[in-house]
Amino acid sequence: MPSSRMRTAEGRIVCNEGHGGIFYRLEAALPDPVGFVPGQFAMVSGWPGNDPLLPRPLAIFRSAAGPKGKGTVEFVYKVVGRGTALLSGLHPGAPLSLTLPLGRGFDLGKEGRLYWLVGGGVGFSSVFPAAAALARKRADFEMFLGSRTRDQLPPKEWTPGGTAPGRLHLCTEDGTAGFFGRVTDAVTERMGLLSASEASRLTILSCGPWEMLKELALGAANRGVEMQAALESHMACGFGVCWGCVVALREDEKTAYRRVCKEGPVFDAREVVW
Amino acid sequence: MKPDLSVTLGSLRLRNPVMSASGTFGYGLEFAPFYDISRLGAIVVKGLSLAPTHGNPPGRIVETASGMLNAIGLQNIGVERFIEDVAPRLADAGATFAANIYGRTVEEYEEVARRLSGLPSLAAIEVNASCPNVKEGGIAFGSSPEGVSRLTGRVRNATDKPVWVKLSPNVSDIGSVAQAAEGAGADAVSLVNTLVGMAVDHRTRRPKLSNVTGGLSGPAIKPVALRMVWEACKRVKIPVIGIGGIQTAADALEFLLVGASAVQVGTANFRNPGVCVEILEGIEAFLREERLSGIGEYRGKLAL
Repeated sequence: MPSSRMRTAEGRIVCNEGHGGIFYRLEAALPDPVGFVPGQFAMVSGWPGNDPLLPRPLAIFRSAAGPKGKGTVEFVYKVVGRGTALLSGLHPGAPLSLTLPLGRGFDLGKEGRLYWLVGGGVGFSSVFPAAAALARKRADFEMFLGSRTRDQLPPKEWTPGGTAPGRLHLCTEDGTAGFFGRVTDAVTERMGLLSASEASRLTILSCGPWEMLKELALGAANRGVEMQAALESHMACGFGVCWGCVVALREDEKTAYRRVCKEGPVFDAREVVW
Repeated sequence: MKPDLSVTLGSLRLRNPVMSASGTFGYGLEFAPFYDISRLGAIVVKGLSLAPTHGNPPGRIVETASGMLNAIGLQNIGVERFIEDVAPRLADAGATFAANIYGRTVEEYEEVARRLSGLPSLAAIEVNASCPNVKEGGIAFGSSPEGVSRLTGRVRNATDKPVWVKLSPNVSDIGSVAQAAEGAGADAVSLVNTLVGMAVDHRTRRPKLSNVTGGLSGPAIKPVALRMVWEACKRVKIPVIGIGGIQTAADALEFLLVGASAVQVGTANFRNPGVCVEILEGIEAFLREERLSGIGEYRGKLAL
C-alpha cells in the first residue's frame, strides 16, 4: 500500500521529455511508492547550486508502485521561468529532490454528485488525476480543457482512461480545436442550460490561471454550483512554515490569510476572496 | 570517542549548537514528520505577539539571486494560543524551544515576555529587535544602541527566562548595538536578521512585494552575516548566536570559528526540511575527522 505520509525523498529521473514543445513530463523513481489525493503537489528540485534557491511546486500527475517495493511519481509542467527551465534540462539518471505529498487535494468523497472538471493551460495536470480517481469510482463526470491554441492542449495519450468520448470538451481561444473560445465561456454556457436541481448536484473541480478560476467561481456562485479551485502561488517551503503563499479567504464575515500549501491548494471557491 | 556537541549559552546548556531560526520553522511541530525535533539544540518558534496578527497581503515572497526576500508581516497565532496549544506539544515531543517575541510597543513586548515566563518548558525568550517588515515589529527599537538598550532592559525586568536579543544587520555599527544589549542585561545576542531589500518588475513597473521592501535571506547574505557575527563576538562577552545563510555543516562551522556559541538555520529549512539534522550530523562528522573532543576546542579559533 503506497504511503500518503508527507516525507522528503531522493528520487532519480527516469524520463523528462518535452511534448508538443510546451509541456514536459517528468517521471522519477522513488525509494517507495507514494499515495496522493488528486490536487496534492510536491516540491521539486534537482539543479545544482543555490540559484534559484527554492524548489518548485508541481502537481502530482500520477504515481505508481514499482518492482521491489519501489515507486514512481510523474509530473507535467510548463517552462515558465528559470526554475522550470533548469528542471527541463535535467537528464534521466539525474537525482531529484522531492518533498511530497503536500497540501489538501480535491474532495471527491460525496456520493451522487455530478462533476465537471475544468482545466486551463497546464491546469490539466491537477485535473487529470481527479478524473482518473472519479473514473475508478465510476462517478459521473465531464471534463473541459482550455488552451490558447490546439498545440497547447495536452497530448491525447495523457487523457485518463474512463473519460467517455463526448464527455471531454476541448476549447481553444483561436478555434483551432473544439469549442471556439475560452473554457470559462464553454462552462458558463453549459451551466446556463442546467435545471436548478442539476445545478445543485454539480461540483466543479478546477485548476488554471487565477482570472479563469475567478470568472468560473463567479459563474458557479450565480448558479448555486459548488466549486473547488486548485490555486497556484509563489511558495518557499510548500509545507506550511514560510507563510509566503497565502491567499485571502472569507471566514465568518472576516477575511484571513490562509496558506495555499497547507490549507490549500484546493479551496472552496466561495471562500476565496477573488 | 563521540565528540561533545553540547554548548552553553549563559545558564542554558544545549545538547548541540544547531537551532532553527524564527520565522522559518513554524512552531516546530511542522517538522515532526521529517525527523525527531528533540534532536535540535533548540527550536526558535515564529515570532509571537500579544494578539494574533494577520500579516501582509500577498505577494509576500520573491526569489532573488541565491536568496529570497520576504515580507510576511509577522503573521502568527498570538502568545496565548502558543502557550495553550503549541508549547505543551513541543514539551511532549522532548524539544528544547525558545519563543521569539515582538510587540508594537515596549509594553507589549513586556506583556508577551511576562506571559511566557510561566511556561516551565520554555528555554529562552528571543526578542525580535529587528523585523524589517512591520513598522512596529522591532526595527523602531532595533536600529540604534539606545533603542536596543531600552527594549532589552524592559524585557529583562519582565521575565526570569534567559533573554536573547535578535539584532538587525541594518545598522552602521553592529558591535555597539550588541554591546547595548549586553549592557542592558541580555543573556545572548542572535544575529543577523534579514537585510532590507527590494525587487521590482521592469515591465509592469510594480514592486514585487506588497510591502514594497522585504527582508533578504539565504546564502546571498552569508558573508555579511559572518562579518557581523565576527565583529559582535569581539565586542561582547555574552554568547553570540550566528545566523545568516547557513545551509551546510561547513557554513555552521564557519560561524562557530569566528566566535559564535551556536547557530540558527533559517531559509535552508524551506529548501530542505531535513537540513538542520544534516548540519548537525555534519558538524559531528567534522569534529571526529579533526579528532576534536568537542565544540569548545574549535569555537573562536579563527587563525588571523
